[in-house]
Amino acid sequence: MGFILRRLVFYFGAFLVAVVINFFLPRMMPGDPVDAMLAQGARFTAEQIANLRLTFGVDQPLYEQFFTYLGDVFTLQLGNSTFFSNMPVSEVLANAFGWTLFLTGTATILAFMFGATLGILAAWYRGGKFDSLASPLSLVLQATPQLVFGIVVLFSLGVTWDLIPISYAYDPELTPDYTSWEFIKNVLHHAVGPIFCIFIVQLGGFLVPMRNNMINLLNEDYITMGKAKGLSNIRVMLNYGARNAILPSVTALSMALGFVVGGALVVEVIFNYQGLGSVLYNAIINRDYQLIQGQLLIMTVFMLAFNFLADVLYVFLDPRLRKGGK
Amino acid sequence: MSVNQANASVHDKTDIQLSVRNLCVDYITSNGDVRAVSNVSFDIGRGEVFGLAGESGCGKSTVAFSVCRLHKPPAFISAGEIIFNGKDILKFDDEQLRQYRWKESAMVFQSAMNSLNPVLTLEEQFCDVLLAHTNMTRQECIKRAGQLLEVVDIHPSRLSDYPHQFSGGMRQRLVIAIALALNAKLIIMDEPTTALDVVVQREILQKIYQLKEEFGFSILFITHDISLMVEFCDRIGIMYAGELAEVAPAKNILTKPNHPYTEGLGNAFPPLHGEKKRLVGIPGTPLNLFEVPVGCRFQARCPYVKDICRKEYCTLTEVAPGEFSACHLHKDGIVDIIALEKQPVQG
Repeated sequence: MGFILRRLVFYFGAFLVAVVINFFLPRMMPGDPVDAMLAQGARFTAEQIANLRLTFGVDQPLYEQFFTYLGDVFTLQLGNSTFFSNMPVSEVLANAFGWTLFLTGTATILAFMFGATLGILAAWYRGGKFDSLASPLSLVLQATPQLVFGIVVLFSLGVTWDLIPISYAYDPELTPDYTSWEFIKNVLHHAVGPIFCIFIVQLGGFLVPMRNNMINLLNEDYITMGKAKGLSNIRVMLNYGARNAILPSVTALSMALGFVVGGALVVEVIFNYQGLGSVLYNAIINRDYQLIQGQLLIMTVFMLAFNFLADVLYVFLDPRLRKGGK
Repeated sequence: MSVNQANASVHDKTDIQLSVRNLCVDYITSNGDVRAVSNVSFDIGRGEVFGLAGESGCGKSTVAFSVCRLHKPPAFISAGEIIFNGKDILKFDDEQLRQYRWKESAMVFQSAMNSLNPVLTLEEQFCDVLLAHTNMTRQECIKRAGQLLEVVDIHPSRLSDYPHQFSGGMRQRLVIAIALALNAKLIIMDEPTTALDVVVQREILQKIYQLKEEFGFSILFITHDISLMVEFCDRIGIMYAGELAEVAPAKNILTKPNHPYTEGLGNAFPPLHGEKKRLVGIPGTPLNLFEVPVGCRFQARCPYVKDICRKEYCTLTEVAPGEFSACHLHKDGIVDIIALEKQPVQG
């Protein structure tokens, strides 16, 4: 398993680099958490300000903060949030994590399933009506900023027609109870808008590459041989075409799943959804270094984990990458 | 142009496996339609090896693909009949066509490297075709696949391997084994050995010949390697610019060509025996199918061209028993190529 070992070493290196960047990136923004509080109208005496800086640890030289941070990362201490009333960062993130995983994860997996399927069909019936409609359209959708979709959906479905809630992950008057159908229904109802916005933008990202890849493959001799063998069209399309064409899309899916915990920042903010995207947004606005670091760390770990998964999955899906055969 | 061409057949009606009648295949391009295959007619008898030869782009592969209706757009069959066992496969609906493919006529493609699906095991690629055409159980399919591998001298234990784990020659034998899976009555071989070196080429051809003797299928053999073809085929059709220029028994085609183009092809190959002589190419370039001239298509490159060749089209006609030619000079039986050689008429 030299392959896996080599990948693991690489991922550890990448992790270290990301950890360093995660530290310096938020601190390159002007101001610190206390400045952010002052900017939002908090009134402190000079002594209070000094105390706050001491509490937040931002009075120390940067290199000392850095080494403290490194030590903390490897002992899995993420510190406390300065913005969310001194709650532990891990707790803040844990609260938001599930919501984001649900929101972005569902949207990404749906987008992959629909995108890949429609891409396969568009390629199989290339030049036909469906292809000439779906392919350019998905390019347009893909190029449209989520902000535009978010606002259009929010105003049309949410405000004008009042079909979907415009805020929160569930009705704040309900007590979260994951066993009650009433509550689950409410959660789903709240998720429709944001999921749709993320889904529609990601759809083209899966459809177009799948289609183009498949069209290239359809000229391969083994496709012709599959047809010559008198197999049904479905079988040639799936076992001979799609089975080969899906390989690059699997990488794309893993990358997208790695991004899932980044949350859909724009959509979450628009729909005031309590996921990691909203958390990150607030953390950045308030210079909540610990929270930003924590969030970036989760993103790093997820990104690397799913990349690794893609590597392994690829070997599983493409026999040519396996060494020595059986 | 006459539709009632000679059928280039030497067989009894009952003995014909495949009969291609006035086949026309057009390519639709943005510059207009091109007739890539024009009024091609030939018969293949049961157990016969029929070769189609000609330079690149002459339409021989298009004919081969048409026989399984595997031609891809922008190509389409605009006229003609392809009669297989008495049935016109051009009239088949999708399901009939699906059943006809591989069960009746199987195909071995030019590039062995690329004609096996890289992500499926061999077992899978044997079983899918067996399951699609027979009522065999999966166990029976695997057993049959193992037998087929043995036929092409590959150990049955390798069924669980993937195509990339085999060499080029082995892969071509695998494709042949798959072609044999349903005891197809006709196997179309589109340059089956082009991608292989000469040693493996010979090995493959011997294998094919041995299997043909054993199983008795007919072969439509496509190549541009005439010397190979002469050795391997019973009869040969020479194609030029989408038309059959000549059809004759393989043994006569180089020694007694009935068309100046065949003669040119013969001169362009080195003889295996006898004194070395300077090879002569055919002057000019292949015909641009957008600019088909009146009369014979070979006129611009023909050393014996006469006035009639520029005015009148010449259909494929029997010039000697079992020998067909589409050349005015041979048609009337008055022109002897040898005599012409002494006084070549320059076109």
